[in-house]
Amino acid sequence: MSEDFDLILDECVDRISRGDSLADCLSDYPAYSERLKPLLRSMDDVQKVYSSAPSADARRANRQKLYAALSERRQMTPVLSFLRTVSRPAMLAIVAVAILAIVGTLVVRLGLNQPTLLPSPNGNFVFLISDKPGDINDFENFDITITQVRLQPAGSKEWLTLTPETQTVDLTQVQGEQFQEMWRGHVPAGQYSRLRVYVSESKGNLKSTGETIDVRMPGNVAYLPVPFEVANNRVTIYTFDITVVGVGDDGTYVLKLQVGDSGGY
Amino acid sequence: MSKRDRETIRRIDEHENRLVSLYEEYYDKLVRYVYVHIGNREEAEDIAGEVFLKALKALRSGQEQGMPTQWWLFRIAHNLIVDYIRKTSKHGPIPSDSVVLLAEDDPADTAEKKIGVEGVIEAMKQLTAEQRQVVSLRFFWGLTSKEVAGVLGKSDGAVREMQRAALEKLRGIMGCLE
Repeated sequence: MSEDFDLILDECVDRISRGDSLADCLSDYPAYSERLKPLLRSMDDVQKVYSSAPSADARRANRQKLYAALSERRQMTPVLSFLRTVSRPAMLAIVAVAILAIVGTLVVRLGLNQPTLLPSPNGNFVFLISDKPGDINDFENFDITITQVRLQPAGSKEWLTLTPETQTVDLTQVQGEQFQEMWRGHVPAGQYSRLRVYVSESKGNLKSTGETIDVRMPGNVAYLPVPFEVANNRVTIYTFDITVVGVGDDGTYVLKLQVGDSGGY
Repeated sequence: MSKRDRETIRRIDEHENRLVSLYEEYYDKLVRYVYVHIGNREEAEDIAGEVFLKALKALRSGQEQGMPTQWWLFRIAHNLIVDYIRKTSKHGPIPSDSVVLLAEDDPADTAEKKIGVEGVIEAMKQLTAEQRQVVSLRFFWGLTSKEVAGVLGKSDGAVREMQRAALEKLRGIMGCLE
């Protein structure tokens, strides 16, 4: 009897949590309604008291603390993993050098200040890649790897850096109206004067020969001097449009930036 | 840097990116969960923020491996609550301004409801620690009784029994305060 009641109470708790009304639950179990009613009302009282939304200021402050801790850790990662690979006798010397390097880096950062932007599913900025059809159809597949994107606020010497969540994209899959989202997150609102895209690798398999060829971008950086705006109350979508073009008769290909088709809207 | 190191760093980066999403998903739940246990909303907000900083440290040491995300966050929160209660040892009076009424409440009966709010918090303090766990995990974390049983290492039946006992106790105490 008591077990039955516990099961029914449990089911009513679940139903009310999903949005059912107290009256509906009680009418489904008339034999137990007198006993159920005060208990479910207690549940309702407790939920009302504790369900008020946490303060927006505290939420924001805690988010900032998390972001700051993440940025700090990411700056330290390469140093820590390098130290793990080094033999014990050399450790002391390397630690000393590393400490000097870190101090030096911090000093430089105080001057240059290049904050890392962190991804978020609810961010106000989306970075996409797309491929204007050129000679991409000569390739079975063509992978481009983007390691970093930097944005420069208008009138500032600082750059904000983001690391794409998806770093390698097959350009044959993003032709024309197709695209691939590479990063989504929060970017400080304001005007931006330009953007840089750092490409570490770009190579494809030719349909004609099956050969894999490297198609380098000069300096491995794409410069996009196209101003754009980021706001807090809407999502800015920035499309990085690039294409592969054959030059000459010797089977040479180059990556060509489509500045006119790139930009933030 | 070895291949293994690169792979470890890639895995940590993925988890860290995910932690940012988890913040948006679980922060409010964590605040409520902690609030139920300690009865002070501002402290609960501080502890909820601390949960994510601890989670970040745990990612680096691999402590999270093999543990479902929400259990992992819950476990960190639980440990911080235990620490907090140990430090404060005896709950002081709950400041009335730490209790915020729901936005839809009518200001006309605010005073009456404030007594009700304090009554509920007082009643919650009379529950056993396990009963508070069941109430917070069922009503605020949104777990089923079976899931709560998994977290607490009890049977489903024992959790349902604790839930009923907790609600009866709350009803009894709140009934006396009304």
